[in-house]
Amino acid sequence: MTIAPAAAAAAYQALSNIGASAPTAAAGTAAPASSFSDFLSGAMNNAVGTMKAGEQIATQQVAGKADIVDVVNAVNSAELTLDTVVAVRDKVIAAYQNIMQMPI
Amino acid sequence: MDLATSMMVAASGMRAQSTRMRTIAENIANANSTSNTPGGDPYRRKIATMTSDFDNELNATMVHAGTPVQDMSDFHLQYDPGNPNADKQGYIKLPNVNSLVEIMDMREAQKSYEANLNVLNASKTMMSRTVDLLRQ
Repeated sequence: MTIAPAAAAAAYQALSNIGASAPTAAAGTAAPASSFSDFLSGAMNNAVGTMKAGEQIATQQVAGKADIVDVVNAVNSAELTLDTVVAVRDKVIAAYQNIMQMPI
Repeated sequence: MDLATSMMVAASGMRAQSTRMRTIAENIANANSTSNTPGGDPYRRKIATMTSDFDNELNATMVHAGTPVQDMSDFHLQYDPGNPNADKQGYIKLPNVNSLVEIMDMREAQKSYEANLNVLNASKTMMSRTVDLLRQ
């Protein structure tokens, strides 16, 4: 278990770099603390958008305007996007908690 | 993403097979549809067509159901002088639909649909199993 906090710190650092790279290129200044939340909210917005698209197609199908295959596809991709975002969030929060519990 | 693309391609195959199934349903339903006028032509069998075309957005070859074409083979003749729609010799034209051929086509459409469904399912399993790695 001694390696876990170090790996967690590296993962957290790598992830904050991912979030920071886009705003730094655009604006030039980005606080590392807000960049991770930016990354997470961006991913969440993406997931919510996919879910909404799935719901929209499902509504159209009920009205008889869309194919059931399209509904299955849209709902599948929404489910997979949400699963990915939730898994990444869980992983990062676990890493953060590992760092917080580190005895200093 | 390749797996998402393969799901879209499989979905296009499923859509095409549904359209083919609709054509087969029309053929079977109209297997006994005769003409309303004496000596006129009855229902003519339709053949489902499929075309492949390249989708630039997905960078993959999709399949689309084309417009059904008509089967120009001869109609079946049946001697039925009592029928008001029979011609002068007493023969009535029946559609060129063969139920056995339609049932074989239907089975093929069904199996092709299931094959595409399996591709969709396998792609989904591959994606979700990969995401599951994050949870460990």
